[in-house]
Amino acid sequence: MERKTGIFICKGCDICTRIDTDQLAASSADETVRVVRGHSALCSASGYQLIMEAIGKEDLNAVILAACSPREKSDVFTFPDSLLTERVNLREQVAWSLEGDEQDRQLAAQDYIRMAVARLKSIRNPQPFIPKDLSDEILVVGAGITGITAALEGAKAGYKVHLIEKEAQAGGWSARLHRQMPSAPPYETLREPVYLEALKELESTQNIVLRTSTTIEKIEGQPGDFTVKLSTRGEESLKVGAVVSAMGWKPYDPTRLSSLGYGLSDRIVTNVEFEEKIKADPKGKLPGRILFVQCAGSRNREHLPYCSNFCCGTSLKQAKYIRESNPDSSVFIIYKDIRTPGTYEGLYKSVQADDQVFFTKGEVQAIDIVEDGLSVVMHNTLLGEEVSLKVDLVVLATGMVPAGTDDLNLSYRQGRALPELKYKFPDSHFICFPYETRRTGIYAAGCVRAPMDITSSEEDAAGAMLKAIQCIEATRRGEAVHPRSGDISYPELYMERCTDCKRCTEECPFGSYDETEKGTPQPNPTRCRRCGICMGSCPERVISFADYSVNSISAMIKAVEIPDEFEEKPRILVFVCENDAYPAFDMAAQKGLKWNPCIRVIPVRCIGSINKVWISDALSCGYDGILQIGCKPGDDYQCHFIHGSELTETRGENIQETLQTMMLEPERIRTEFVEITEYNRIPEIISEYLEEIELIGPNPFKGM
Amino acid sequence: MLEINPDIQFKKELIKTSQAPLSKCMQCGTCSVVCSLAPDDKPFPRKEMIWAAWGIRDQLMGNADIWLCHQCGDCSTYCPRGVKPADVLSALRQMSYRYYARPSCIARMMSEVKWLPLALIFPVVIIAVILALAGTLKIPDGSVNYSKFFPHAWLNSSFTLITLISYGLAVYSLKNFIKDLRRQFPDLKFKGGILLQMLRSSRTIAIHTKFGSCSVNRFRKWAHLLVFYGFNLLLLVTVYAIYAALTHRYPLGFFNPFKILGNLAAFMLVIGLGMMIVKRLVGRKTVNSNYSDWLLLISLLLLTLSGVVIEWARFGNWGSAYHLYFFHLVCVWFVIIYLPYTKFGHTFYRLVAISVADAAGRK
Repeated sequence: MERKTGIFICKGCDICTRIDTDQLAASSADETVRVVRGHSALCSASGYQLIMEAIGKEDLNAVILAACSPREKSDVFTFPDSLLTERVNLREQVAWSLEGDEQDRQLAAQDYIRMAVARLKSIRNPQPFIPKDLSDEILVVGAGITGITAALEGAKAGYKVHLIEKEAQAGGWSARLHRQMPSAPPYETLREPVYLEALKELESTQNIVLRTSTTIEKIEGQPGDFTVKLSTRGEESLKVGAVVSAMGWKPYDPTRLSSLGYGLSDRIVTNVEFEEKIKADPKGKLPGRILFVQCAGSRNREHLPYCSNFCCGTSLKQAKYIRESNPDSSVFIIYKDIRTPGTYEGLYKSVQADDQVFFTKGEVQAIDIVEDGLSVVMHNTLLGEEVSLKVDLVVLATGMVPAGTDDLNLSYRQGRALPELKYKFPDSHFICFPYETRRTGIYAAGCVRAPMDITSSEEDAAGAMLKAIQCIEATRRGEAVHPRSGDISYPELYMERCTDCKRCTEECPFGSYDETEKGTPQPNPTRCRRCGICMGSCPERVISFADYSVNSISAMIKAVEIPDEFEEKPRILVFVCENDAYPAFDMAAQKGLKWNPCIRVIPVRCIGSINKVWISDALSCGYDGILQIGCKPGDDYQCHFIHGSELTETRGENIQETLQTMMLEPERIRTEFVEITEYNRIPEIISEYLEEIELIGPNPFKGM
Repeated sequence: MLEINPDIQFKKELIKTSQAPLSKCMQCGTCSVVCSLAPDDKPFPRKEMIWAAWGIRDQLMGNADIWLCHQCGDCSTYCPRGVKPADVLSALRQMSYRYYARPSCIARMMSEVKWLPLALIFPVVIIAVILALAGTLKIPDGSVNYSKFFPHAWLNSSFTLITLISYGLAVYSLKNFIKDLRRQFPDLKFKGGILLQMLRSSRTIAIHTKFGSCSVNRFRKWAHLLVFYGFNLLLLVTVYAIYAALTHRYPLGFFNPFKILGNLAAFMLVIGLGMMIVKRLVGRKTVNSNYSDWLLLISLLLLTLSGVVIEWARFGNWGSAYHLYFFHLVCVWFVIIYLPYTKFGHTFYRLVAISVADAAGRK
């Protein structure tokens, strides 16, 4: 289709005092540009009207708004879907931020308009991908309190839910509790376990199918279109749109706690065993002196490095059982820190008020069997020295280990379980998207996701179910769920040129690509988060999006006019991640920071989507250096696409090879990581890199 | 290694005596941070607070540190949980009198208001018996002369004897106390004997060094100084009076220097005690005052006031002079003879504890 573009230049917000907008309009000629208009405030009613009239009059199918950042005024600049829109960030990236004289800013503004024109010429209007057999049913794996709550929430929202449980009974660990920690003011009295009500509600809810003693043999497909093969009922398989994994936890293996005396005597039990004992015989006589050892194997590098969240509350709860059953009893609690977040402080205080419950910080050094009981030696106590105490029973407050997600049996090329980050909990971008896993459409909730108590599990269940519903609805519209919510573009593969190198299948953080029997990549578009990492990975440039392609960025790179005189006008191409670095640039400009006008910025969805060809294109065009700015990688990564920014490091070698074949210095390319709050680093990053480029001199390809 | 066995009865008694919500302590150590007495390596009074919450009597009874505390109240003011460590330490000191005093039943009698009548009956009956033995159990005629009512020889010998018995028992108690203190300071040695050490340690007491290091209650230092010196001056005057009586120069004239000194001391005591009483009434929220606190303040005040009043009664030839004199003697009994069994015992225990701490080099 013939491109008919209109350019609209805003003069407001100081743009016209820093840039000669009339000259800019005059220099924006191109065969696709049908109309160029300026306005004192494009975002005003008359400005918007000006644009709409021009669209109608000139029959435009694309508009360029040269005004403020695309992150601003998005509520004003809305146009029909059929119209391609490009926002040129004149205000933040040129007028407000560039040092130097008016000519420097003028050249930058002209380049940015040319880049926008070039981009519009090389992209298409994306059309959504919508699977044919869409299912809006939801699978919930695990019928513990999290799974049951998720199922109830889903059913209440009007979705059919399949709830499966590998045990013969629903209820999970919550069904093994005698009492539950308080959940109502004043948060002092123990309550009946909530699973009793939940199970009743489950029975009376129409839209939930519960299958117990059932496991998963295989999950195939993609969001909106998963096929789940179940173990039990012969060939039964389900079709679901999304999955909630509420697969729960298991207690930390106490046999590894022989240092705390586990296995030495029946008088040393875990909190889980103690609870079961009480549950089995609630009226049974309890011994008079009971010691609780908190953090038994928790917050300990050799065992569980993390806090399991529930053990302090559980011991306090069990202390109440003991004190209520035997008024002469004494309870001792040895802790590292008592952690009773939120309302559990009420439980802590109520137990503390009991004069026959004794607390101290400390560590158990040894437990020995003595006549009629146990002798416990503790050190590092607040009692001031090493102490020994005789007790009848020791309860080890052991922590939670995630049950793991192997049993999902995903038939994904990248493996059958949800990828893990630390401590075997599923990897997600926990800062922004806690329930997400690295498998789109499969959401982790409850203790399989992070250690938590029942109340938090219930909240988690509701959150994950909401995400599952959101996924189904977004998939129905052909949109990405997150983080690029609403994006309808998806990777399109020009298979004729594919060499089956499998880089896309390996590098996709979300396992979007499976393989055919022949070993050819097989995309699953609804698993895709639209980051473009596959596009960056492909040496054959097979993968592109309709509106974000290898060609479109190449065209932008080439649209910049590179001046011959290096001394005054070096050029540095900056690939900026849209998620953190681009807003950081905007914030820097809005805070009045200024930087060198030598840079030309191209926003990318993730720096993992940068294709090697863009580097060679830029260097052969005569750019003196290339800076790629992304989010922080590593264990506590901030990359919205998990390891997009990490990939730039592993791909670095490849790129260095390209530089070598072009006989260029390795310093011609540099990667920086910026958090959104580090906007103040922007000028410094640019000036430091420029100094380095000035040292190695101009790109020899300049002017060729 | 310390074998611990919580004594729940002890903990309950401590809670009752201190009126402090002991179990609320979350062991944060704020009390140790604000306490000017806390050494760098041991968190005082946090460890005492935890021992208290655990009911570990043996660690608390033979503990010098609780005697170094002057109850300035900094810890109670800053405690985030309102546990009032100052009151707990004060209660521990009161429980120490009961723990060490022999016979301990007298200390118990002095610790509760319900036994006050009994505590009064003892001196009244014993003084009456002594008077009967002296043959003077009647109101004498003529101008007021107290020796007609209670002959000096009888008074001095009987009161001295009873005081010696009481203090002799106190020495026995203090020996046990020191024995227990040795648990805390196993290498304890007194250079030149314990009495010399006490003399050396008296210097800090004389100038109230530790008292001055409290930040919240500077006012209390001055009140205590007035009472301290007022009382000691009166002791001096009394000793001189006994000497005067023995050498037949008694009673002293109104302008006798010792008489003037005695009146000045009484004035200091009244002012000092008044300050303490007002402080306890006003500061009820930060510092808890129980029966033992009031008993000491009021008996001291009554002793002083009755002393002044019988002086007037003598000069003014009041009809009620001998009754007032009898009352004054009961007050003397309460303050001096009961001393090891009441809060006034702190003069002994504190002196011993400070001496031990000094000898052991506790900073």
